[in-house]
Amino acid sequence: MMLVIERKKIDDLIQTLAKNTSVYIPVRREQGGAVESVFEKFTPGKTIDFYYLPTLCSIKEFFLPAIEDTFVFDKRKNQAATLAQKKPFILFGLNSRDLEALTQLDEIMAKPNTDFFYFKKREMATVIGLINEPIKTPPGGDLILLKVNEEQYEAMPITKKGRALTKKRFFKKESAVITNAGSKSEEIMPRLRQLLLDPEFLSDVIKWSWRQDLAIWDELATLCLGCGICTYVCPLCYCFSVEDKIDLGGKTCARCRKWDACTLPRFAQVTGGHNFHKTIRERYYNWFFHKFVRAYNEYGKSQCVACGRCQKYCPAKIDIEKYILKMVDAYVKAKGV
Amino acid sequence: MQNFYFPEKVKIAKIEQHSADVKLFRLQKNRGKFAKNRDGLVFNPGQFVLAGIWGYGEAPFGPASPPENNSYLEILIRNTGGVVTNAFHNLKNGAEATLRGPYGNGFPLKFFEGKDLVLATGGCGIPPIASLIEYIIKNRKDFGRVYLIYGAKTPQDLLLKERISNWEKQIKIILTIDKQAPDWKGGVGFVSEFVKEIEIDPNNSCAAMCGPGPMMNALEKILRPLGISDRRIFANTERKMQCGIGKCQHCTTGEKYTCTDGPVFYFDEIDRNWD
Repeated sequence: MMLVIERKKIDDLIQTLAKNTSVYIPVRREQGGAVESVFEKFTPGKTIDFYYLPTLCSIKEFFLPAIEDTFVFDKRKNQAATLAQKKPFILFGLNSRDLEALTQLDEIMAKPNTDFFYFKKREMATVIGLINEPIKTPPGGDLILLKVNEEQYEAMPITKKGRALTKKRFFKKESAVITNAGSKSEEIMPRLRQLLLDPEFLSDVIKWSWRQDLAIWDELATLCLGCGICTYVCPLCYCFSVEDKIDLGGKTCARCRKWDACTLPRFAQVTGGHNFHKTIRERYYNWFFHKFVRAYNEYGKSQCVACGRCQKYCPAKIDIEKYILKMVDAYVKAKGV
Repeated sequence: MQNFYFPEKVKIAKIEQHSADVKLFRLQKNRGKFAKNRDGLVFNPGQFVLAGIWGYGEAPFGPASPPENNSYLEILIRNTGGVVTNAFHNLKNGAEATLRGPYGNGFPLKFFEGKDLVLATGGCGIPPIASLIEYIIKNRKDFGRVYLIYGAKTPQDLLLKERISNWEKQIKIILTIDKQAPDWKGGVGFVSEFVKEIEIDPNNSCAAMCGPGPMMNALEKILRPLGISDRRIFANTERKMQCGIGKCQHCTTGEKYTCTDGPVFYFDEIDRNWD
């Protein structure tokens, strides 16, 4: 017996869910000839993009927004209040890479200390994956809808929240389901994806490259504009800064957390002016070092799911996959492995 | 769920001008005393706190007060012209500030016991070393010979002068300034010239140092010739600790986080870091 939902019923399911809760789905937008996928709040008439393209804003925005007020301090009351997400919401239709990224981000935000503001949002969210290619293990979320054939998706509840959703009338138990999902979604960064299976090797390559192959980092430093966009769009970059802002009347102030980027010039600068990462080369390396070396030491994996966003949105058009492959080639040649 | 970012309210109980741009702030709880850790200390010397003012933000400081004292905590703040340090310098006695922490590891006090100690710092790096000295003096018989080497640009830039003169009875102090000044009786020039005055058993010694990145190299030049191995040199490092709990990434150095793995590192742990 398999719990299934008809593909054509998925939009109906979203519409039903949206009656009581805000539901965010990937939709396809066409503007001036350019085709983009974006996560938007569902309103009647919108349909889900089953094969969404790498979105400019990754799913981290729902849990670690670009700018958020964390505390508000009231000068008259002389008191600080904590701001936390109170309304439940649903994130519907994440592909396997985004689900994988979210699972990793959960792990990062829980260790070594729990990030209060992240998990307050996470607790309020129900995450539903929509996966069109065969998977070995469910990458995360509360419920996964896995394509079994052109008309049907299998419902795989992962958590209690997910199980509750499958009680809805759109899901049916069927015994004779034809499984021929076959169709693969378009491969993004396929070779990097393969490399990510051996994070220890990648970690060694990156470390070796900084010591032995400085030319490649010089090349990256000439190309990189140091704008930080690669980190903003990355679902697994989570550097942030904290700043206070005061309202114009001077009555309240908010402690504001916002995205920062380790590739920006003043990221590692301390008060008084000393900068630990003065050059773009150092900052670019630091970005790689975190993703592939420190992340491997801390979590046993690279902080990358090869979603393709950094490469797609880099204004300098740096082919990141190509550079990683170059480093790998140089390493393999030098080490004879 | 505990919110590690939520700071507690504290009151400024005392402000002292220590040099042209450095002030000492004594922080007290509005009610009650600061909590102590398992070792009976409010913080481990070398740990840092995040002190702040609503509307301006928070910044990391290593407390300079005696660590077992739970009625107040003292920090030294240099006005660098930054938002937070400048706001602190404009505060008046009795004003309110915020505090969270202590964070990080601090110096290995138990490991220091029974050994000769060389404590080296310069300029604004004195606070964590000062709290360490207070601890040593309080438990003086647990430690061997203790030296403080403290350098600054001019005599006016030496901080905590009153406390330094109190320490003199208990530990050997070497003060140096960059250029000769009138009435100056201490050393002049590079601190490294005074190494010969230090008598320790290199096989049973530890060193603790604190200073910004570039100063570490200078301090290393003093400590290495003494024959103290890198594993016994403990460096209290300065980075931009912003969240204090290992998330924001500003304070990373190589494979380590200054806020959670440090800020005190074995010297060999950070010496070969690419950054």
